[in-house]
Amino acid sequence: MLSSATTKLVQSETKLFLRDPIALFFGLVFPSVLLLALGGFFPGFADEPSADLGFLRYIDAYTPIAIGLGLATLGLVTLAPILGTYRQFGILRRLRTTPIHPARLLWAQMALHLVVAILALVGAMTVAVVAFDVVFPENVVAFVFVFLLGAGAIFSVGLLVGALARTTSAAAAIGMSIYFPLLFLGGVWIPRQVMPDGLRLVSDLTPLGAAVAAMDDAWFAGTLSVAPLLVMAAYIVVVGFLAIRVFRWE
Amino acid sequence: MAVIQVENLIKNYGGVNVVDGISFSVNAGEIFGIVGPNGAGKTTTVESVSGLRQPDSGSISVLGLDPQRDHYEVAQRVGVQLQESRLQDKIRVHEALDLYASFYDTPADWRSLLDRLGLEGKADARYTNLSGGQKQRLAVALALIGTPEIAILDELTTGLDPQARRDVWGTIEQIRDSGVTVVLVTHFMEEAERLCDRIMVVDQGRALALDTPNGLIQRIGAGQLIRFRPSAHVDDAELTALAGVEGVGRKGEMVEIAGTDDAVHAVTSFLAQRQIIAHELRIEQNSLEDAYLALTKEAK
Repeated sequence: MLSSATTKLVQSETKLFLRDPIALFFGLVFPSVLLLALGGFFPGFADEPSADLGFLRYIDAYTPIAIGLGLATLGLVTLAPILGTYRQFGILRRLRTTPIHPARLLWAQMALHLVVAILALVGAMTVAVVAFDVVFPENVVAFVFVFLLGAGAIFSVGLLVGALARTTSAAAAIGMSIYFPLLFLGGVWIPRQVMPDGLRLVSDLTPLGAAVAAMDDAWFAGTLSVAPLLVMAAYIVVVGFLAIRVFRWE
Repeated sequence: MAVIQVENLIKNYGGVNVVDGISFSVNAGEIFGIVGPNGAGKTTTVESVSGLRQPDSGSISVLGLDPQRDHYEVAQRVGVQLQESRLQDKIRVHEALDLYASFYDTPADWRSLLDRLGLEGKADARYTNLSGGQKQRLAVALALIGTPEIAILDELTTGLDPQARRDVWGTIEQIRDSGVTVVLVTHFMEEAERLCDRIMVVDQGRALALDTPNGLIQRIGAGQLIRFRPSAHVDDAELTALAGVEGVGRKGEMVEIAGTDDAVHAVTSFLAQRQIIAHELRIEQNSLEDAYLALTKEAK
């Protein structure tokens, strides 16, 4: 009975996600579109390696950035406002009067967003490797591990925003005000490799910056570096725990 | 047999007792109404009964269970429609019903539920495309999807047009007829008078009265208000002297007489003897609304 309720919740949330063209575009296909646009239209992006980027091409450096951007979009632009809406509409409160705890709806949403993130990753990787000859990740296991850790860290921030915002618009506003600084520090406008040292240090401490750094290492050097892993783990433990503690059902 | 028993319920928000010592019990198979002005504590009371709120003191027993401690069991057996709660815009009616059905051990068949609630043909409609009345009937359907023994309906008809409201009333009577006990929170007296077997009047967190609709009306006396436009002059003093007449007043050409049941007969025979015709004759009884206003005014 209970497992069937969880299945139905995931099914129902998936259908609703698929009916939202904006979430679908930005959450699922935007990382691929970004790579196609950058690699296809920006002169020199997919040509020669650059010494500034540690002898990667721009398209190489931007592959983990685009994947990270996808995670940030899902966590802050779609997940957080959905939770705000569910609180505003009284959907969480209504669930509390059923035998099913509304936490199950949160887990359904997190699971759904993780699946969409993985699909977005597969899309972006395919574009990078097939269209622009980006090397296949040197260490796939390490890469998948840091990707999942990064998803956990960024979704924890989205969950915290969604835990507190009373309405859709509040969640969207708070989400956006975190989203753009995160993108900047994650290297969307200036890749981390060419950031000034001070800025890169700040970037290292953000969930997206740490995720991009760790994905870079696993993808191009095949290594796992400790510092970004610790940063991401800290976000999951501290922010994720805080989100669960302060979560308001109404 | 009592299916809900509330003893001395107190709920405090920010230093104010929103519910301040309310006690009542609801019998199996009745429609139990809770009426009162906005902010009287009606919603907090039923939300405590549903297990959404933890009372500060007092005891609540629902089907012999504690809504806090035995939340799962109570939720299986009590269906709730909440005030100001809605669904996702893009969910379809049958998807919402199918989803909620999966939460319960003994779900109802949602197709027959839709038929019963007059929503047949709306199964594939998206929530956002339903009318206000249809949304409320869907909320009732979701409250009934787990085949509950008790249905708690909070401000079900607020914001509905008169026709939609009457349709929902029919639905509520049907629910009771199917053996489900109904707790109905409303601030429409006409609705409470028409539907409820017993009514609790709540104001400022306290229960002012608990009685049948008729019992509540009797409390302020079985008053009658007789109005008419006489075809010829009648003397106020003669009218006042009639049996059962308590007061005589005038509004333009209209005469207004307040009195007991006896006054109606006395006034009509008085007019007949003098061959005076009572144009636009209307006789109004005290309604639940009058009783309610008298009760809540008394409390202030």
